[in-house]
Amino acid sequence: MSINTITMAINLSPAEKIKTKSDGLRGSLTESLTDHLTGALREDDQTLIKHHGMYQQDDRDLREERSQKKLEWLYSFMIRLRLPGGFLTAQQWIEMHHIAGEHSTGVIKITTRQTIQLHGILKSHLKPTLKAFAKERLDSIAACGDVNRNVTCAAHPLQSKLHEEVFKYADKISSLALPKTNAYYEIWLDREPLLKKEAEIDPLYQDRYLPRKFKIAIAIPPNNDVDVFTNDIGLIAIIENDQLKGFNIAIGGGLGTTHGNKETYPRLGTVIGFTDAEEKTLKVIYEIITTQRDFGNRSDRKNARLKYTIDKMGIENFKKEVENRCGFHLEKPKEYTFNDRSDYFGWQQNHEGKWYYTVFIENGRIADEKVSIKTALYEIAQTKKTNFRFTANQKLIIADILPADKNEVESILNKYGLIEHTEKAMPMRRNAIACVALNTCPLALAEGQRYLPTLIGKIEPLLEKYHLQNDPISIRMTGCPNGCGRPYVAEIGLIGTSYGHYNLHLGGDRLGLRLNQKSFDAVDESTILTILDKLLAAYASVKNKFDSFGDFIHEHQELLTSIN
Amino acid sequence: MLPEVKMRALNDLVQKSSKEELIWINGYLSALVMNGLSKEGSTVNIIPKKFTILYGTDTGNSKKLAIEFSALGKKESAKIKVAAMDTYKVDDLVNENNLCIIMSTHGDGDPPPSAKKFFDQLMAKEFSLSKLEFSILALGDSSYPYFCKAGEDVHHRLTALGGKAILPIQKCDVDYEADAVYWFKNYLKSFKTESTNDVEGAIKKVGSSKKIYTGTIKTNVNLNGRGSNKRTHHIEIKTTEPVIYESGDALGILPKNKKPVLEEIFEIVKIDPNLSIPYKGESHTLIRLLTNKLNINYLKESQVQKYSTLCDQKIPNVKMDLYDLVRIYPIKPLEFVEFISYLNDMTPRLYSVCSSPNARENEVHILVGKNAFRVDEDKRYGLCSDMLCDLDENGILEFYIHKNKSFRLPSEDTNIILIGPGTGMAPMRSFIEERDNTGATGKNWLFFGEQHFISDFFYQTEIQQYAATGLLNKVDLAWSRENSKKTYVQHKMLEHSQEFYDWIKNGAHIFVSGTRSPMSEDVEKAIVEIIYKHSGKSAPESEEYWNELKESGIYKADVY
Ligand code: SRM
Ligand SMILES: Cc1cc2nc3c(=O)[nH]c(=O)nc-3n(C[C@H](O)[C@H](O)[C@H](O)COP(=O)(O)OP(=O)(O)OC[C@H]3O[C@@H](n4cnc5c(N)ncnc54)[C@H](O)[C@@H]3O)c2cc1C
Ligand SMILES: Cc1cc2nc3c(=O)[nH]c(=O)nc-3n(C[C@H](O)[C@H](O)[C@H](O)COP(=O)(O)O)c2cc1C
Ligand code: SF4
Repeated sequence: MSINTITMAINLSPAEKIKTKSDGLRGSLTESLTDHLTGALREDDQTLIKHHGMYQQDDRDLREERSQKKLEWLYSFMIRLRLPGGFLTAQQWIEMHHIAGEHSTGVIKITTRQTIQLHGILKSHLKPTLKAFAKERLDSIAACGDVNRNVTCAAHPLQSKLHEEVFKYADKISSLALPKTNAYYEIWLDREPLLKKEAEIDPLYQDRYLPRKFKIAIAIPPNNDVDVFTNDIGLIAIIENDQLKGFNIAIGGGLGTTHGNKETYPRLGTVIGFTDAEEKTLKVIYEIITTQRDFGNRSDRKNARLKYTIDKMGIENFKKEVENRCGFHLEKPKEYTFNDRSDYFGWQQNHEGKWYYTVFIENGRIADEKVSIKTALYEIAQTKKTNFRFTANQKLIIADILPADKNEVESILNKYGLIEHTEKAMPMRRNAIACVALNTCPLALAEGQRYLPTLIGKIEPLLEKYHLQNDPISIRMTGCPNGCGRPYVAEIGLIGTSYGHYNLHLGGDRLGLRLNQKSFDAVDESTILTILDKLLAAYASVKNKFDSFGDFIHEHQELLTSIN
Repeated sequence: MLPEVKMRALNDLVQKSSKEELIWINGYLSALVMNGLSKEGSTVNIIPKKFTILYGTDTGNSKKLAIEFSALGKKESAKIKVAAMDTYKVDDLVNENNLCIIMSTHGDGDPPPSAKKFFDQLMAKEFSLSKLEFSILALGDSSYPYFCKAGEDVHHRLTALGGKAILPIQKCDVDYEADAVYWFKNYLKSFKTESTNDVEGAIKKVGSSKKIYTGTIKTNVNLNGRGSNKRTHHIEIKTTEPVIYESGDALGILPKNKKPVLEEIFEIVKIDPNLSIPYKGESHTLIRLLTNKLNINYLKESQVQKYSTLCDQKIPNVKMDLYDLVRIYPIKPLEFVEFISYLNDMTPRLYSVCSSPNARENEVHILVGKNAFRVDEDKRYGLCSDMLCDLDENGILEFYIHKNKSFRLPSEDTNIILIGPGTGMAPMRSFIEERDNTGATGKNWLFFGEQHFISDFFYQTEIQQYAATGLLNKVDLAWSRENSKKTYVQHKMLEHSQEFYDWIKNGAHIFVSGTRSPMSEDVEKAIVEIIYKHSGKSAPESEEYWNELKESGIYKADVY
């Protein structure tokens, strides 16, 4: 134990106490679940349940109304699946479809980390829901909480012959960093406690888990769809003549900030080296986590992410600590290039001749609204001739279709207008990301996914005015500075400050290699539109000279000051 | 020396009474005391007499009197058998020589539900009661159109069968105690050997002293959350003066008929709403009369047939609203006016008070379920509940207090079990507030039920509070639409049968409110089952034991 971990131990944050006295994340969850007077959990259990992949929420739209009616807030739960690399079989999709209908709002939400969330699940429905998932070998263990989160991996198999091989790492890493406690199985699935408690001893997380959430992503160049540099650990697959050589390792990425808290900032990962063999790679990952476990800030959660630990220790010291723990040195990083970050919409074929269709799903909300996406996907799943993949851009890939089955799938896509829906959407809209925000997210200050589509509807005419409609300018919106939609690495980032107001961030690149800058404070819709109108006009006039709108702004900061 | 509530009541009565009335009351009370309390009472030299007191009750007033009377009578060394109509055999009437009947009227001029069987058989049976002497004390409420009707019906029937009434029927209004005791004294006197000529007849009513309060609506909120099938309004009424009531009482409210409906009726009949019409000696405009005084909904078959003759058209023998009648069966203005005289007075509706008088000054709360039903295809709402749910804040509402003397909290250290699904929750909230306010030490166990947890949990946040502070020792909830199998309060009681039995054994009192059928019946069945399961008694013994417990007064129901 080092000096600073000891000094920190003096005033641990409340969450730390809850974790350590939780008896392997059990707390009083059983009592909370049987308290039939309320739809909520006891205070401490609300923290613990995150480690089981769930969040207690309430319908914020109804708070006042319900208080008037002498009813408690409408509490419900959001369940986030652990889905390394974001993959489901047709059978699993069919079950998901039914579970969503029976126990949740019915909307299936693809997240920015390639997994699925269901919202609005009542306390009494939690166990049935998780049992139903378990039947399909699906769980939500460690999907949230101070542990390693869902491991993301480049989504598009056609990117490389080696996709399958790389993809397997997501699973290996996820298992490597899975908490050992049996609590999930006992509490939610009514399984018997383990005979030997020792089996629960957790050398990685111990009884205190990590100081904060921890995220790992794997990118396969040339596509950075996973936004590898926004993760605590980013692995960049190094492939030389169809051989997976190993991974460049980037550490310390993270985006969350807090308005008015100078101590918080977004940070892109720093590449610290390369590892070849599998067990070396896993070892390095493991020891990066243990180092963060031991050196991370446990008294101030706002400064507990790996990025802050690294900046406090200094990247070199941190690297040394990790290498000591590993017992070997990291090799020099290898060359790689990214040239894209977006999904390959429409039909694609991989090296084996299998077909893939990437569907445009706005903000990852799968429902039957303007287009009956949910029904269409259900019908496709019922053919049992496809798999389902999710992208870190909140989109969906209908995967692994044999040439013989392509027509059948295509006819269903057409029947429900999904192909038209995907093709006619402008590139900006197709690549856009918005977080959940209202009405479920307790931290939301402004709208996210409920509003971005409308705003884009008002930007599209501007794009047409300047003949930019085919320019895939990346726009991302979040309802607060936590950055769930990764707005800090967008060309146009909108970060909620209060209802109807957003900080406008500009100048990020299109590949997620450069952070944007806050250019305008708490602006409303009309201001956003006037600003963009001016800037897009300027960009259009010199377009051919720049790779992207973001690069253009980056070069011409003076434009920003001229507005105002 | 008087408890505050009574003192207030007395002052109130005194203030509201004229000089003459005060003098009457004065003499009246002293007479009462003399006869009632002093041993000298027995100097009225009577020959010991044997007679039966037969009572029919719903809310317990008649029963209370029956017991009080038999005590009084025994002091006069009379041999008295007390019987309840629900168990009494009509055939046994032939063996009675002298019968003292105390019975109330309920519903819409009907006998109390528990006396219905007796009543119907009596009406149907043909037999001679020539050797029967009887007297009837009829309890009622003059704010109902059929004042003491059930009592009158029995009176006429017995006479028709050859029985002899030795006293004229005594009708009592809600403030019945004094009149009743006074009447019973005379009843006893009637046993003097000499001819009964010096027996005074019934007291002429001094006029019901029932107080009408005027309140303003402070809050009127639908407690059901979105997605609920129900509409249940919590209504808070403010008054400028203290409302004198106790937990367990109900508000009596006279609904008004809807203006648009009336206007349409006038339109169809082509009659002037301001036409003045005589009614009970005064004259009213048609519109006022139909708005405030007369019931035009769900008219009795007999009234509908009257209408049919007046408009000279064939109408099926069913209940109908006046609105539908004039719509479907046109009637001329003159005949319409005549038909008005066949309409009944508006019937008051009762709503259990759901606040405690000690918890709030000049304020009373009720919980009103918006009563919905279908007529053919179109959805309609109950007159009074609809009116109440529509009341705007600051709107004006007139009401009176309907006392329910047998629906009262026991001593503060007695445990209570409160079973109030649906709007039955209303009095329970009042009791809980009361116990919270008076710091009662008895334990409290609440059973509540509705359709859905998230939308129909009345007073959820309050109940959570009471559970947290420990005032509510146990709360059990039954949701009937949460999953495939319907769960009701009785199922919850059975789930905890051992504990429920222990509470009963330890003298807990049980309160039930809500729908009479099937809820309250199922609850009683469940209690008997619980006794059977845990007492080691046989089924019949358990039944027997439960009836004893009820006799002892630990079971209090306010059902409708
Ligand atoms: C669903 C999702 C957004 C979406 O629309 O897709 C999401 C939704 C939430 N995030 Fe996030 N985050 C999501 C990806 C992200 C990302 C992007 C990423 O990981 O690639 C980030 C920025 C990267 C990072 O971690 O720095 C992100 C940074 C946060 C933070 C800020 C963390 C920080 O270090 O400051 C919070 C707040 C916190 O942890 O205290 C947060 C918290 C939340 C919560 C759970 C709010 C809460 O704590 O109660 C949101 C739930 C809303 C709801 O009702 O569903 N979420 N969150 C994403 C789910 C990912 C997953 O499947 O695991
Ligand atoms: C002691 C006691 C306590 C009570 N406490 C409460 C309480 O706390 N809360 C509460 O909500 N209620 C309570 N009630 C019930 C309440 O008094 C009323 O009975 C109830 O509100 C219905 O009255 P209404 O005027 O709204 O409906 P009404 O107009 O009287 O109609 C009642 C029923 O009559 C039938 N009906 C009427 N018109 C027609 C038609 N044209 N065609 C066919 N059918 C028709 C329907 O079945 C309808 O449901 C209590 C009753 C009693 C006796
Ligand atoms: C729902 C209800 C309906 C009533 N209907 C009538 C009625 O039609 N006529 C009447 O004279 N009294 C009516 N009353 C008044 C009762 O007869 C009066 O309260 C009496 O004291 C009750 O006596 P009990 O407790 O023995 O039943 C009604 C009371 C209630 C609760
Ligand atoms: S960015 Fe903020 S508002 Fe949006 S989901 Fe994340 S925490 Fe909620």
